[in-house]
Amino acid sequence: MTVLTATRAPAITRAPSRPRRLGVRAAQLLVGAVVLASALHLDIGWSDLAQLPADLRHYLGLMFAHPDWSRLPGAFYQTWVSVSMAWVGALLGVVLSTLLGIPAAAGVGPLWVRLPLRGVFAVLRAVPEVIIAIIILTVTGLTPFTGALALAIGGIGTHGKWTYETIEAVPPGTAEAVRAAGGNLLEVARWGLWTQASPELMSLALYRFEINVRTSAILGLIGVGGVGDLLTGYTQYRQWDAVGVLIIVIVVVTMVIDGISGAIRRRIMRGARTRDVDRSS
Amino acid sequence: MDTTAHGPEAATPASGPWPIRLTDVTVRYPNGVVGLRGVSLAIEAGEMVSVVGLSGSGKSTLVRTVNGLVPVTSGTVQVGPYRVDQLRGRRLRHVRGSIGMIFQGFNLADRASVYHNVLVGRFSHTPTWKTLLGLTSREDREMVMSALDSVGMLEKVWGRAGALSGGQKQRVAIARALSQEPQVMLADEPVASLDPPTAHAVMSDLRRVNTERDLTVLVNLHLMDLARQYTTRMIGLRDGELVYDGPASSATDADFEAIYGRPIQTRDTLGQ
Amino acid sequence: MTVSQLSVPTRPRTWPRVAVVVGVIVAITVLTTLPALGGVNIDLGAIARNWGNGSERIGKLFPPDPSILPRTWKPLLETLEMALVGTAIAALLALPLSQWAARPTNPSRSRIVVRGVLNVIRAVPDLVYATILVAMVGVGALPGVITLVLFDLGIVVKLVSEAIDSADASYMEAGRAAGGTQTQINRVTAQPQTWPVFASQVLYSLELNVRISSILGLVGAGGLGRLIDEVRGFYRYGALSMIIIEILVVVIAIEIASNVLRKRLR
Ligand SMILES: Nc1ncnc2c1ncn2[C@@H]1O[C@H](COP(=O)(O)OP(=O)(O)O)[C@@H](O)[C@H]1O
Ligand SMILES: [Mg+2]
Repeated sequence: MTVLTATRAPAITRAPSRPRRLGVRAAQLLVGAVVLASALHLDIGWSDLAQLPADLRHYLGLMFAHPDWSRLPGAFYQTWVSVSMAWVGALLGVVLSTLLGIPAAAGVGPLWVRLPLRGVFAVLRAVPEVIIAIIILTVTGLTPFTGALALAIGGIGTHGKWTYETIEAVPPGTAEAVRAAGGNLLEVARWGLWTQASPELMSLALYRFEINVRTSAILGLIGVGGVGDLLTGYTQYRQWDAVGVLIIVIVVVTMVIDGISGAIRRRIMRGARTRDVDRSS
Repeated sequence: MDTTAHGPEAATPASGPWPIRLTDVTVRYPNGVVGLRGVSLAIEAGEMVSVVGLSGSGKSTLVRTVNGLVPVTSGTVQVGPYRVDQLRGRRLRHVRGSIGMIFQGFNLADRASVYHNVLVGRFSHTPTWKTLLGLTSREDREMVMSALDSVGMLEKVWGRAGALSGGQKQRVAIARALSQEPQVMLADEPVASLDPPTAHAVMSDLRRVNTERDLTVLVNLHLMDLARQYTTRMIGLRDGELVYDGPASSATDADFEAIYGRPIQTRDTLGQ
Repeated sequence: MTVSQLSVPTRPRTWPRVAVVVGVIVAITVLTTLPALGGVNIDLGAIARNWGNGSERIGKLFPPDPSILPRTWKPLLETLEMALVGTAIAALLALPLSQWAARPTNPSRSRIVVRGVLNVIRAVPDLVYATILVAMVGVGALPGVITLVLFDLGIVVKLVSEAIDSADASYMEAGRAAGGTQTQINRVTAQPQTWPVFASQVLYSLELNVRISSILGLVGAGGLGRLIDEVRGFYRYGALSMIIIEILVVVIAIEIASNVLRKRLR
């Protein structure tokens, strides 16, 4: 197309051929085949699937066309039960995970403490809260307290991990300074790590509460009370107009809590940054 | 575009380089800052023109009004047969297809391949649904390859853009603009992020584009020696106002001091 | 540096704020633990009363009862299949949706609508979807898969669109200058650009899916959960613990595999 290339072969014939990347292709094909095989093997009537959009429209109409607003007070009351469960579970869970998470951080606890703790976190992370609730309710009964305990214990898995990861992300300088000044383990944790890691940890604690708000509704489904309990009843008796109200309440309350908690979290993290600037000046 | 090389595309490109005409152009940004104040300017077809001025003087604003990336507040912008200031949507995109642009920061998608980055230049000639399905015509592929070939980057066509050096990235960016088969080439401080030898190489590439491909070239520079060496005509901007318009090679240090509004400093030249 | 040098400057100014924060936490905690208001009744007495009976049952968790294993294979397979199919469908939908939900890839106002809808989808917990869908379309894998798709869409689209929002998007300007439509720019440049984040989030959602789909059966949506419900009903705690161990092994194995894959993406 220019003086330069006019006398030579077209660039397209001289261009290096596109790399084949056979491995990647094979992996893509394999994943595709496994997904397809899974879909076909699943016990789903594919003819039902064609029916699905119509079904959804039908039931969404039943739920939201004329919601039964007389259920509103009850829905709010049970949502409050769920939120209480979430709060108490978050508080207990965060306290426990902080206590366990700090010694699990590299540079704080010795290896023989760290490894078993991390193992416990990994196991608790893998077990769904519902199953924890099923186990402990034999002792505590079908009460919101069971729900809160299940949230607390289940939360240790992820929150303990976040705690030690946050502490490990703290730049080592401060802790070394405290150690150099002759501080013991507790003092290192309090002055060297806590001051640096606490904004992040507080923000994560709030986030734990946000997660628990969702999980507590789920726990209600096995009977520990709250909005999930109500939902089981309504769906069993197919009171769709009541289900609709419940969904609206769940969505609104969850989004409001997310909004407030998110705003506080952003403030905490912004505060942490300004304090860093103060310190460096 | 008289020597379009091979393939069926030889018939498509129009009419050779385009003139650019700005009449009393003012640009006021939404935040109230005035980027350009009453600039009038006529660039002939096939000229190679530099725009110089201090940082913040409105150079980027000026070249971006030419392809409508910055809308003008008042005044007219005529590029070839089109009134860019009056176009929107599909018709504006069509005109932009004939105006190549390169940037200080290269503006490549680092994780995409060099090939896909240059393919961007073919967008305005390709229906969206074809791009969406990943259907590339042989013609488009041919143009991508020859554009890369003309800047010496054909070997890297399947590599990631992010893995290239700064100079190589700017060459790929030039290839992206060339693959558009443009009538006008805009360049916004194309060498400001490059070391001196690479800067000279890229400026030579641009001059070659101007002469061999016969394009109108408008290039922003903040270095006076590059403007003198590579361009024939120079536009000086200060605080959004046109304060100089004349030949580049004979512009004196006093002319530059007038444009800059301060004595010349060592950082105003690149050196060899 | 010494301890006192480090702590002196920040301390005096923070205590009023600390007092307020502690006060608010205490207040909420009191409110949420008042049974009269519907709060959680922290009833340690009940634990003491139930302890004998309950702890004996919990003791039956050990040893795990391997005789249940043959019956778990089919539901386990179903659990994994649901997780995989759910993730795959969600990934296909999330690819365009995350571009529609991010500012650089969708400067128009429709972005706000997409985000709003996804916020609503994310506000409904997974098992709530499952419960309602089972009531709508009947017991089986279908409500399970739909639940997982909705759950995944919520997290993948949120995380990927936030990643697109915060990443450098100067290449967009080049696409626009070349006369491309937003769709063309997204397809050719934004898609490879955000691919690693996207793939990593999809793998993460697969991890979560395995964990969730193992309990979806509790409300009738297929998989291991149905078996869990059954053995719990018959108080077969040894079998229950065997199933839990099985879930544990599978979830941790998937987590490890996905972590290895995700490291390779970077
Ligand atoms: N998108 C924008 N919004 C608001 N003000 C802008 C924008 N872009 C540039 N400006 C302002 O317009 C003036 C000219 O900028 P610019 O054209 O970028 O100058 P130059 O390229 O010569 O450095 C500057 O004061 C700059 O701050
Ligand atoms: Mg500029």
